[in-house]
Amino acid sequence: MNSLAPIIALTIFVVLFGTALLFLVSLVGPKPKNSDAKNSTYECGIDVQTTGHSKISVRYYLTAILFILFDIEIIFMYPWAIAYGDFIKEGQGLYMLGAMGVFLLIFIIGLVWEIKSKALEWD
Amino acid sequence: MDISVLLFYGLSFIVLCFALAVVVSNNPVYSAFYLAITMVSLAFVYFILQAYFIAGVQLIVYAGAVMVLFVMVLMMFDLKKEKDSFSKGRMSNFLKVSSVGWLWGLIAGAIYMSSDLLSMGATLHNKDGVGTTTKDLAKLLYTDYIFAFELLGLLLLLIAVGAVAVSRIKGGTHA
Amino acid sequence: MGSDLFEISVNLIKMIIIFVMMVQLVPLLVWVERRGSAFIQNRLGPNRIGPLGLTQLLADAVKFIFKEEFIPEKTKKFIFYAAPVVSLIPAALAFGAIPLSMPINIEAFTMFGESYGPYRFAFQSFELGIGIVFVLGISSLGPYAMLMAGWASNNKYSLLGALRACAQSISYELALGLSIVGVLLLYGTFDFSEMIAAQQGPLNFMWFGKEVTLGFLPNWGIFYQPLGAIIFLTAVFAETNRTPFDLPEAEAELVAGYHTEYSGLKMNMFYIGEYGHMMAASALMAVFYFGGYDIPFVTAEDVNAGVTWFGQAIDPLLTTVASWAPFVGDSLAEALGFSANKAAIGTAFVFHIAMFAKILFFLWVFVWVRWTIPRFRYDQLMDLGWKTMLPWALFNTIITAIVIFIMRTNWS
Repeated sequence: MNSLAPIIALTIFVVLFGTALLFLVSLVGPKPKNSDAKNSTYECGIDVQTTGHSKISVRYYLTAILFILFDIEIIFMYPWAIAYGDFIKEGQGLYMLGAMGVFLLIFIIGLVWEIKSKALEWD
Repeated sequence: MDISVLLFYGLSFIVLCFALAVVVSNNPVYSAFYLAITMVSLAFVYFILQAYFIAGVQLIVYAGAVMVLFVMVLMMFDLKKEKDSFSKGRMSNFLKVSSVGWLWGLIAGAIYMSSDLLSMGATLHNKDGVGTTTKDLAKLLYTDYIFAFELLGLLLLLIAVGAVAVSRIKGGTHA
Repeated sequence: MGSDLFEISVNLIKMIIIFVMMVQLVPLLVWVERRGSAFIQNRLGPNRIGPLGLTQLLADAVKFIFKEEFIPEKTKKFIFYAAPVVSLIPAALAFGAIPLSMPINIEAFTMFGESYGPYRFAFQSFELGIGIVFVLGISSLGPYAMLMAGWASNNKYSLLGALRACAQSISYELALGLSIVGVLLLYGTFDFSEMIAAQQGPLNFMWFGKEVTLGFLPNWGIFYQPLGAIIFLTAVFAETNRTPFDLPEAEAELVAGYHTEYSGLKMNMFYIGEYGHMMAASALMAVFYFGGYDIPFVTAEDVNAGVTWFGQAIDPLLTTVASWAPFVGDSLAEALGFSANKAAIGTAFVFHIAMFAKILFFLWVFVWVRWTIPRFRYDQLMDLGWKTMLPWALFNTIITAIVIFIMRTNWS
C-alpha cells in the first residue's frame, strides 16, 4: 500500500511536467497567420483525397486477438516459474514439470496450428 | 485518516467516474479510452488491496492487451453509420430502456451479494496456512486447481481456432 | 513512502531527480546517435558548435522551444495534445521501478538540533516486490500513446503507423514475456534487488546436488541464459520501435508514422518517451543478465572500505578549509566532516556508476545496431516475431526448466 503512493505521485508529476512544458512552449514561438493549405492534413503535398479513417486489414485484429490468448498463457507461467525452485526443494519437481509440460504442450499445439493455418501470414 | 484509505476511495471514485464515462460517451473510441483508464485504475485498486500479482496481471492482460485490441478495432472502422443506427430508432430506444433495467438489476444484485461477502470476509481473511504472496498463489493453482488450469489452456486454444475461423469468413460489412 | 517529513521529502526529491535524469539523458543520447552514426559511416557529424559539437544539444533545444505551436485542422484536439504527455508516463514509471544502485542505510543522526531516526533509502523511485510484473504491465501501456497520436491526427499515414507500431509491439511482447520466464525460473523471484543479490560473487551453481564454483567468472545471468538474453534484447528492440524494427516510422512508406502531424516540442516528447523506454530496457538487460549494479570480484564491503579510506584521507583538509569560512565555519566543518553515513552514500554512488556504465553500454548497442542493420519488411518482421522468436523463447523456457530440475534435485 505504501508503495502505491510514490507511483501515483510520479504519475501526477509526469503529467504536470508534460502539460506545463506544452503550455509554456505554446506561449513563446512565432504565431504566423494560418492558411488553408497549411492547415490541411499532410498528404505529401497533394490535396487530401479521402478521410483519415480508411478501412484496414483484418490481420491487425487477428494479430491482436492471438496476442491476447498467448499473453494469458504466458502470464500463467509466471507464478509457476517463481514457485518452481521451492517445489524442487520439496521433492515435487517432476510433478511441476509435468503440470507445466501439459500446459506447454497445448501452447505448442496452438502455435503450430496458427503457423500451419497461415493465420499469421502477411502478404 | 490513513493515506491508503484515502487512495482507495480516491481511486474507486476515479474507476466509477470513468466507467460511467464509458457508457455516457457517444464516440466509441473515446469510450474505449475511458475503459482503458478504468482498467489501469482498477489495477491500482488491486495494488492497494495488496494483491500485487493480480494487479500486474490486470495491467498486462486487461489494460495492455484487451483494451489495446478494443481501441485498435474501433479505430479500424469508420463508425459514422453504426453510431447513427445505434443512437436513433425505436429498436435502440427499446435497447436503452432494457439496458437501464439490466443495470439496476446488476447494481441491486451486486449490493445484495457483497453484503453477504462482508460477513464472510472476516472468516476468510485470517485463515491459517493460506498466504497472500504469489508463491502461495502458485502452490494453490498448480496443486488443487491443476485440472482447471489445464482446461484453461485447452479453452484458450479453442478460442484461437475460433478467432481464426471467424476472420476467414468472406462477405459481411467489413471483410 | 516514509514515516516522517524528512524521509518523505528525500523520497520525493529522489523520484524527481531520477525522472529529470531520464529526461536530461535524451539530448545527450541524440548527440551520441548523431556522432555515432557519423563515426560508423565515416563522416564527421555535428562538430561545429562547442567542443565535439556538444552544445549542439542546446541549440536543438532552443530550436524545439521556439517552434510555432501548430495543429492541423480536423484533429481531435484534446487527444492530440494528450498523446505526447501520455507517452512519457510508461517510460518514467518503468525506469523508476528499477534499482540503480544498492540501498543506502542511514544511521540515526542529528541535524539543526533535531534527531532523525535510522532510514533506508532505496536507489530507485519506488521499491516493489513484483518489480518485473509491474514493469511489463506499465510498458504494455506504451501502445496507447501511439494509438492516441495516430487516431487524433486524422491522417492516414499516422493511423497506419500507429496500427503497425501497435501490432508490432504486441507481437514482440510475447517473446519478451516468455524470455523472462527463464530469468524467473533461475532466480525464483519478481524482485529486482533479490535478483541482483543472487548474481553477486563468482559463478557458482548446483551440479547434481553438489555446489560447483568457477572463480574466474562473475555470477551473472548471461552465463545461465545466453539464448534468453539474445531473445530479450531483440524483443526489446522491437518494443522500442528502433531500427531494424522501426516499421512504424518507415520514412519511405509512412512519412514519419504516428507522429507525422506533430511538430516542435510535442514531437520531441515522443522522442523522450522512446529514449526513456530504451533506458528502461537497458537497465532491465543489466539487471537480468549482467548483475545489475554488481561490480565483478568486488563486494560492497570492499567498496565501503575504500570510500571510508578516501573520506578519512581528505577529511582533515576539508574541515580545515571549511573552518576558515567566516561566521559559519564551525557548522560548515561539521557538515563537511566524514561520517559513516557519508561512506554509505559514497558506496551507493560507486555502485551507481557501475550500473550506469552498463546502461550506457546497452544504449550504445541500440545506436550501433541502428546504423548497422537495415530495416525489415513488414511480413518478415511479423514472421520473425511469431515464427522464429516465439518458438525459440519456448524452447529456452523448456530447456531451462528441465536443466534446473536435473541440477537442483537432490538425487541421492
